[in-house]
Amino acid sequence: MMKSLNSLTGAIWPRFHRKAEEHLNPYYTFQDYKQTWGMTIFILMMTALLPLIVMTLIYYQLIETSINTESLLRTERTASNARRAVTFFLEERLAALTFTVNEMNYDQLTNPGHLSEVLRNLKLGFGGLTDLSVIADTGTQVTYAGPFNLEGKDYSNQPWFMECQQHNACVSEIFSGYRDVPHIVVAVKSIRQDGRFFVLRATLETERLIQALSSYKTGEHADIFLVNRNGLIQTPSQFYEGESHHMNIPLPDYSDRTRAVMSTDRNGQPILIGYAFIDTKIAPTSFILMVVKQKAGMMKVWLDLRSQINWFFGISALIIAVVITLTSTVMVNKIFQADRQKAQTMVAAEQNCQLASIGQLAAGVAHEINNPLALINETAGYVKDLFTIKQQYKEDPDLVEHIDAIIDAVARCGTITRQLLGFSRRFDVQTQPIDLQDMVSDVINFHKKEAEYRNIAIHVDIPESIPLIETDRGKLQQIILNLVNNAFQAIDNGCFLDVRAQMDGPEQVRLSIQDNGCGISEDHLNKIFEPFFTTKKEGQGTGLGLSITYGLVQKLHGNITVQSKTGQGTTFVVTLPVKIEKETQS
Amino acid sequence: MKQYDLLIVDDEQRYADMLAKRLRLRRLTCKVCYDGQAAIDIVGEDSFSVVILDLRLPDLYGTEVLTRIKQRRPETAVIILTGHGTEKDREQCLARGAYSFMNKPLDIDRLVATMARIKEKSS
Repeated sequence: MMKSLNSLTGAIWPRFHRKAEEHLNPYYTFQDYKQTWGMTIFILMMTALLPLIVMTLIYYQLIETSINTESLLRTERTASNARRAVTFFLEERLAALTFTVNEMNYDQLTNPGHLSEVLRNLKLGFGGLTDLSVIADTGTQVTYAGPFNLEGKDYSNQPWFMECQQHNACVSEIFSGYRDVPHIVVAVKSIRQDGRFFVLRATLETERLIQALSSYKTGEHADIFLVNRNGLIQTPSQFYEGESHHMNIPLPDYSDRTRAVMSTDRNGQPILIGYAFIDTKIAPTSFILMVVKQKAGMMKVWLDLRSQINWFFGISALIIAVVITLTSTVMVNKIFQADRQKAQTMVAAEQNCQLASIGQLAAGVAHEINNPLALINETAGYVKDLFTIKQQYKEDPDLVEHIDAIIDAVARCGTITRQLLGFSRRFDVQTQPIDLQDMVSDVINFHKKEAEYRNIAIHVDIPESIPLIETDRGKLQQIILNLVNNAFQAIDNGCFLDVRAQMDGPEQVRLSIQDNGCGISEDHLNKIFEPFFTTKKEGQGTGLGLSITYGLVQKLHGNITVQSKTGQGTTFVVTLPVKIEKETQS
Repeated sequence: MKQYDLLIVDDEQRYADMLAKRLRLRRLTCKVCYDGQAAIDIVGEDSFSVVILDLRLPDLYGTEVLTRIKQRRPETAVIILTGHGTEKDREQCLARGAYSFMNKPLDIDRLVATMARIKEKSS
């Protein structure tokens, strides 16, 4: 449970993000793991996501283009169909009027009864006609058939009448006229036998035209209506009627065929406009057919699809990102762990190598120095003997003191050479079962008097459960002695010293020696196992004690570590195997 | 055959002479020789309470000399005095009958005390 929790934490916040162990830095293969990690994630993300993004964008583009083209086509088709309907509606009625004036002469048509008959027949045949009238070339209405009595009205100033004079036929805009009812006037001109002309005029109901247009309306966002060439709305528009009945979108450019264009409405929303300038074969008109569709409405299906694609893309990208991040983190962390282990091994190897070479040097120095030292010792000893044993030199105590100084110095050199030799030699390891508790109390006993005198509290906690360990008695004793000595030198009066032991797995014993003395600074901590490294005043320490201890622990197949904080104290932890195979080195 | 307190065997002549001088000052009778064969010969000629023997000698290794001396004069105590004796040397020497194993530089008082003990024992 704890392990999987740790590995999860490791995956999310791996070790290489934490404070670096600086002494390992030169030994790493890759220096900047955070950068490696970042680059790995970046490259993998790019490789995985970039094609996905590009494909999605291309897909969007293609779909949008094809939908646009399709929409334009559809709009154009609608406009084209509606145009045909409007043109047919007008042409049919114009043709009927033309047929009437060609079939009947002026006199027949000016007969009110006859005209009413014609109106009835036209209503029956085509429908959508309100009334019919004959207008003389003066513009005065001569005969009228229909629901209103408009006989005698003067139309000479009406635009449709003037246009009719020019083009033989005309179609008016939709207007309310005298009756205040929206209608279209269609009229055809004919020549009387006396050479003067007259006009047959019919009023068309706009209702039928509007109905015809509405039938082409598709969807709630579509609008279909007629405007005149000045942009004035002719048939009702659901969305695009602005102030004073003008269309609130720009008037399209003239074209003799049906077209569809993209534009925007007054709110800036994209719209599709299909339009046609309507002309009949008999007479031109001022109508423009407008089919306006809101693009958003038409694109709804696509937008829904796009939102689904977006979701799909988003979730896929998220899953890819998470998987890549976790995988990269785990992999980079594994590489880091391996690299770190390598660096640690290299540091240890280098330290061992250093120790070994220094050891060899030390041994050589010790051997060479020892003989002359022995000679100095004996010579000085002899001189001293002369003073102390022979009566004639006894008078000079000053000289004796100096000789003593030489002998003391030699004794100290002797200690150093012995330690140097001890450091370099590889003795056979003699294993025997040892009771750790006994051994620790033996060592502590050496210091009992000093501890009492200096008021130092010594706690020993070695549980009965610790088994007898099979190791070299002499070496283990020296290890413990060195560490306890070391602690005693580091602590002030009134401090404490803790010696604890516990099992570290079934095969190893962990012995910790803790003091609350002066501690070791971080700079020194890496060097304390190096030979000749000492922080003591010159002449007080050889700098070999801990280095020898390190060598001895290695010899016993153990491991020694140190933790320390300046001013708070130091803990040495020695881990030893419960049983060691006898070493074959000599 | 003369009776001496000590025979000093050491290839470093000045050292051996100086040690002899110091011991003589302490009223001990002693002879000095500088190689293994000479030591074996001298032990054959005269009688010594103690032989002080260096391990590194020019002709024979100290342990060999020790064995030969012990063969000839089992009653003679041999004290090994060496500059660079290993734990293994110590064990070997003690196994071959050396009385004691001392390192150079020597603590002369310790040697004299040891001598006194040996003398006490033999008398």
